[in-house]
Amino acid sequence: MLNRFKKQSYLVQCTALLAVLCLFIWLSLFSWSIVPVSASQAITALFQTDKSIIAHSIVLDLRLPRALIACTVGACLAVAGAIMQGLTRNPLASPSVLGVNAGAALGMATVTILAPSFGLFGSSVAAMLGGAVTWALVMVLGSAWRGGEHGRLVLAGVAISALCAAFTKAILILHEDQASAVLTWLAGTVANARWGHWHQLWPMALIGLVGAQLITPTLNLLNLGEDNARSLGIKLGWARILCSILVLILVAAALSVAGSIAFIGLLVPHMARSLVGHDHRKLLPISAMLGALLLLAADIISRPIIFPLETPAGAILALIGAPFFIYMVSRRNR
Amino acid sequence: MSLSTHNVSVGYHGQAIVKNVSLTLPEGKIIALLGPNGCGKSTLLKAMARILTPMGGEIHWQGNNLHSTPSQYLATQLALLPQTQPIPEGIKVKDLVAYGRSPYTGFWGRLTKEDHKIIQQAMEQAGVTELSEQFVSELSGGQRQRVWLAMTLAQDTPYLLLDEPTTYMDLNHQVELMNLFKTLNEAGKTIITVLHDINQAARYCNHLVVMKAGEIITQGEPESVLTKELLESVFSVTAQIHTDPVAHTPMCIVE
Repeated sequence: MLNRFKKQSYLVQCTALLAVLCLFIWLSLFSWSIVPVSASQAITALFQTDKSIIAHSIVLDLRLPRALIACTVGACLAVAGAIMQGLTRNPLASPSVLGVNAGAALGMATVTILAPSFGLFGSSVAAMLGGAVTWALVMVLGSAWRGGEHGRLVLAGVAISALCAAFTKAILILHEDQASAVLTWLAGTVANARWGHWHQLWPMALIGLVGAQLITPTLNLLNLGEDNARSLGIKLGWARILCSILVLILVAAALSVAGSIAFIGLLVPHMARSLVGHDHRKLLPISAMLGALLLLAADIISRPIIFPLETPAGAILALIGAPFFIYMVSRRNR
Repeated sequence: MSLSTHNVSVGYHGQAIVKNVSLTLPEGKIIALLGPNGCGKSTLLKAMARILTPMGGEIHWQGNNLHSTPSQYLATQLALLPQTQPIPEGIKVKDLVAYGRSPYTGFWGRLTKEDHKIIQQAMEQAGVTELSEQFVSELSGGQRQRVWLAMTLAQDTPYLLLDEPTTYMDLNHQVELMNLFKTLNEAGKTIITVLHDINQAARYCNHLVVMKAGEIITQGEPESVLTKELLESVFSVTAQIHTDPVAHTPMCIVE
């Protein structure tokens, strides 16, 4: 089936993915609710809202923002991963592997615990700053711009991640009373998503996703190596700064509402590449849709595990992601 | 007059490899940069292709500083074939060659009929038409070199800069490439190439620039440049200069 899907034209692939995505959004609106919501109520709630029906309120106030946020966060992380892999020409590059997640977590934990008066906005700015600092550090240590080897960049990412994680833990241990909020954030979940989060998320996500699509032709040329890209008229310095800013916008937008979600940025670009090849102009939209689908699916799966309590979607992703990654590596070696 | 260097020093990590070089490259010729390993010929070429920024001095293109000329415009004037190339994954030959058109295609990279014609022609000239549906990563080193050459040709620039283009190529493709230079040159292009093989340079190029230890030793037509003394002082070999029985160009035979 997968092989037949690969042979379809790009437009068919996009339409099919979009259809599956809509199906999953619908599923996520009514599945595993403590107050039962029927499949048809999930539809009528959207188009013929009757606020006196409690199921409608649940769909509109809880489930719909949750589904939209899951999709957008998934798309942002997947696209950020695709840009990072294109920019560094390193198949292991992603927000989690190169330390952006860990840096953002440290920034967020520091502000949440040491200066809680800054609130949600303060912690997302801190997450963005933390991510930016680690990203810059990893790039310098890994000498990514000087044709450094792939391994060196990943090692730098892992080392910086470990350092940030250690600091985050230290902060958590020293200020145990406020640790639970940070711990939930570290696990990564969209279970608590409300419309307020959505309003905070969508402007940044929109800028990031549209901007990412606009730099895809440049990413294609960067893929030819530095000398060729420059000879074809690309201003390398500007291209890198622009790509890095887009990555930070996307990651910060995603992390500030959903917490630290790993694996999507690493895995989804590879899945998308196996479907549509290496042309970034096609790769990024497909990555966005697959990322949305994956996080949404993980969110749905996370509900029945210890029903009626919620399992963090981030944990589910790690459970799916790790074996899938091993499968991919082994297939690549063959 | 188009491309010239003025007291240019350039190198890596703060260490100059090319030292204070002033050189005007004659327009409309096939120019070979010659010299022993590490003499700075590739470094000088990279500086002229704006891959490296000079530590001192200026490189001029049409009388203006090369490094302050818009890069998109320069990409339509100067094309570089680097010595070592990455092996891009999952890209077909025809798509790679098409990237050569990107300085012209505008932002999204949509190809016009004219672009397709130039791509087709570039692939024919580099002899890779029959490879067009294959993935670049599946080709041999020599084939891949010709695919990159096709991309550089698709850039359709009046100046071509090539860094040891014959490396990895077997003999017949080397000959084809050198003949292609002649054809392109007759069509008005200026070709600047780093070469290792002195006899190849003397036979196919009409202007030689000889470098040693980051400095220009001499330049001019093969007949005047290629002397016993030069080979002795630059390459430290004792050699005789004879006339090539086929092309009637000078050739050296090491004693």
